[in-house]
Amino acid sequence: MNWSHVKLIFHREVRDQLRDRRTMFTICILPLLLYPLMGMVMMQVAQFHREQHVTIGIIGYENWPDEFPLITEVKNDKIHWKKLPAEGSLIESFVKSDVLPKPEISDASATRPSELSSSPMTAEKVLRQMESDVIIWVPESFKGSIAQDSLVVLSNQRWERSQLAVQYLQERMNDWHANWLRNHLKATEMGANILEPPKVRQIDASDAEMKRALVWSKILPFVMLVWALTGAFYPAIDLCAGEKERGTLETLLCSPARRREIVWGKLLTVMCFSIGTALLNLASMHTTASIVMSQFAGLGAGDMVAAMGPLPLHSMGWLILLVIPISAMFSALALAVACLARSTKEGQYYLMPLLLVGMPLVMLPMIPGVVLSRGTSIIPVTGAVLMSRALMDGEYTHALLHLPTVSTVTVLCCLLAVRWAVRQFESESVMFRDVERASMKQWIRNVWRQREDTPTTNEAVLCGLLILVCLFFGRLALGGMSLTWSSIVQSTIVIQLAMILAPALIMATILTRSVRKSLRLNRPDGVELAGAVLLAISLHPTYAAFASMVGAEYKLGEQTIGMLMQFDSIIASTPIWSVLFVLALIPAICEELAFRGFLFAGLIRNGGHVRAILLSSILFGLSHGVLQQTITAATLGLLIGWLAYRTGGVACSMAFHCVHNSLSMLLAAHSSRGSGVPHWLAWALQQNDGRIAYTNTWCTLSVGVSIALIAWFATKKSFAASLNPKETELRRNSPDIEPNLRFRKNAFLP
Amino acid sequence: MDLVQVQNLCKSYPDAVQGEFRALDNVSFVAKAGEVFGLLGPNGAGKTTALRILATILKPTSGSVRVFNFDVSSQADYVRHSIGFVSNNTAIYDRMSAWEMVEYFGRLYALPDDHLYPRMEKIFRRLQMDDFKECPGAKMSTGMKQKTSIARALIHDPPVLIFDEASLGLDVMVARALQSIVLDLRDQGKCIIYSTHIMREVERLCDRVAIVYKGKVIDSGSLDDLAERHNQEDFEELFFQLLMLDDEDREEKPPALGIPPLNGAVAAAMGVGPQ
Repeated sequence: MNWSHVKLIFHREVRDQLRDRRTMFTICILPLLLYPLMGMVMMQVAQFHREQHVTIGIIGYENWPDEFPLITEVKNDKIHWKKLPAEGSLIESFVKSDVLPKPEISDASATRPSELSSSPMTAEKVLRQMESDVIIWVPESFKGSIAQDSLVVLSNQRWERSQLAVQYLQERMNDWHANWLRNHLKATEMGANILEPPKVRQIDASDAEMKRALVWSKILPFVMLVWALTGAFYPAIDLCAGEKERGTLETLLCSPARRREIVWGKLLTVMCFSIGTALLNLASMHTTASIVMSQFAGLGAGDMVAAMGPLPLHSMGWLILLVIPISAMFSALALAVACLARSTKEGQYYLMPLLLVGMPLVMLPMIPGVVLSRGTSIIPVTGAVLMSRALMDGEYTHALLHLPTVSTVTVLCCLLAVRWAVRQFESESVMFRDVERASMKQWIRNVWRQREDTPTTNEAVLCGLLILVCLFFGRLALGGMSLTWSSIVQSTIVIQLAMILAPALIMATILTRSVRKSLRLNRPDGVELAGAVLLAISLHPTYAAFASMVGAEYKLGEQTIGMLMQFDSIIASTPIWSVLFVLALIPAICEELAFRGFLFAGLIRNGGHVRAILLSSILFGLSHGVLQQTITAATLGLLIGWLAYRTGGVACSMAFHCVHNSLSMLLAAHSSRGSGVPHWLAWALQQNDGRIAYTNTWCTLSVGVSIALIAWFATKKSFAASLNPKETELRRNSPDIEPNLRFRKNAFLP
Repeated sequence: MDLVQVQNLCKSYPDAVQGEFRALDNVSFVAKAGEVFGLLGPNGAGKTTALRILATILKPTSGSVRVFNFDVSSQADYVRHSIGFVSNNTAIYDRMSAWEMVEYFGRLYALPDDHLYPRMEKIFRRLQMDDFKECPGAKMSTGMKQKTSIARALIHDPPVLIFDEASLGLDVMVARALQSIVLDLRDQGKCIIYSTHIMREVERLCDRVAIVYKGKVIDSGSLDDLAERHNQEDFEELFFQLLMLDDEDREEKPPALGIPPLNGAVAAAMGVGPQ
């Protein structure tokens, strides 16, 4: 790579962006203005809220005990009291007739005015008519028996002022009541002190700065993400889609700068603006918040200020350090996505999806209790955010422990994103995409006419996503079922057949010419099949150890553990052959046909076997609802995928999957049953705390056996090659020979 | 010397509607130093695709393309140093002045400063661009843009120049100026590939032409040769005849996959004729 090209392009792009007034405004001027303006508005609103006066109408105040008045002279009172006439008003009649329980019917009907029946008064009308936010009604009997008789408060909870008035009134009433109580207690020998709760003095071990850092460290990464992405996105669109639009990309592509150099030059520019915007926003927001808070401190909101005051300098430093990897990653992503767009307008549409993808990764660290651990450190962005928080907290050793994982994941993600962007630039179909001809009918006809023996990559990915969506809704619908054997059978069969197998099968029938090839149904080779079965058996101890490790790292919830126990006991009490049929055989067939069949066939095209193994195992993992299962299944999926690749079909992976599931079920059932280990298996199994586990001897031995088997599969002449030697050979020699072949065929047409 | 050699060039794209679309089908031609080679064809004939392949922007599906004796697929870097590409959409950065733009590309070609600036002065003087040296791209007229574009393509003094419908949207004055620049460059011994669909330009500029229609070269040679071969003095008439003949030819044969059903010459004619 020629770095002088990268530097040249970088310089040009930066200068170009700096000359663009719109970009400069969005990513530089806006943050500088936005937060002070927001702060000002907030101050205004707060002022307004504090100074809002309410009007409380009071009916029958003469019934209030004179010695303890409710209406007292207070300076700058928020409440404006309005004494309303007690007799002869509409309110009285309304309150009397509709709200108060009427002591005697005949009496009530006698006092009810006649107009009330003709035009029923609503509470709202009464409040409006009396120009009050709340009306309190003091019944005649209140003076004599305060405790016994209830007051009636008429409010409209739809109005915010009315809500506020009720709140004020309640406060005033509480004060009044406490006062009243104190006076009454004074007369007795207990004294008024009895009312006071014991005094608590809080001592907080953390200092205020640390606490503030924590609050900020929860808010700021989120702000940072939004701005890092915004700051990356607008320049990225201008740099890719904009250049396409202006036609300048063509000239740049035929200049000596290589595609990768162009991408790096552009990427550095985008990153520069992304970091700049994020930092500007952080600084602006932080400064404004500090100033606003200090203003609030003057107004008597000390707690909030202590929590939101300025961030200590070293914490700020860690945050700034965090900006770099996050910006790098989102810049590369934004660049790759922006390449897809034909025009700046189209580019704008892609911002939202990208933001939605990034959002959960930043929201996750905001959940209380999520801290940096082995589990969280492998999640991109989340790990970095948690790491910066740990550093802010001064937990340097803890942070250092996870530094290798977090930095590896971050660098890997960045490189992947850059690679994606470079690939976009190298792809002719992306760079010179024409406006698609919008004819749905023709498109469908073409899809039908052009369908091939196996699904296309897009169709395979679509199928995977379809399965996931089906599973999501299916699980929700089946979620309410009680845990019995019949419900397990039902839900397993519905999920396996309708949600996993059906999408693959339907797509294979409609979208491809050969269902057999699409599902990679092959005639199994006896030796290979035996090898797969043996591998499943020998690998099971390793898998069990791995699963328990995952379980220890990502703890299962109480509820899930309870469910699992129940599940095990159900299995134990059901005939073993039916358990194996439903939970081992059916899933093995359905899942393999879908994931190692249809999906695999689409993904493996054009020499994409790594892609096929990786993607199919990820989707396979995701199809298992529980996180722990997802991890173990995805890992196992890698091996099954590799097996499917090496053997050229689903037969061996099916056998492996079935045996693997059977072993898990058998172990679980026998453990629950507590029936002990049969003699002839004593070399491999042992009773351990009431559960059956593998012996150490067999564990060690099995690893050796597994490695040997894997080596056998790896070195063995692939079944796939013998199945279709010509095609495989051709494809291996020249990855893009296919279009040529078809092309020539046509050329020879008469 | 054959500076540009194209042999059996094929290019096909995946197409959402038709499946595979063949933009170029067995195209062959050669262009020499000191000549203007015209690539003539109606809109959508595949001229731009062919030129983009020459400029290493697209990769050929099959066939061999050599520019200055370098292969466009395997020696793309060398090819890029020996061509200048002027496209139909002028391709000017809005927020860059003419001077900066040419300077930028000069630096991408790694020209040293003491070579770059004198050359820029010379080109700017010759193309009469000194008046709008500092004018940003957004404020330039189409003529100014095209001149800047040409200056950019010339900065590294390439032996081969590619003009892809460069006269599109230019007024008579500027178009004339462009033609004289092209002839001037030819006289300097450059090999010029000039694609157009305007007959007048062909008659005035091109030493030899290839007529491209629906991805195929239907005839090629010098203008005189063509006139003699088809017994037609009027070149526009000749061009139209050739397209019609080709359409008839295709109708007799079943159309090869990927080529849309033909209704061609009429549509093609719309792109022909003086604009």
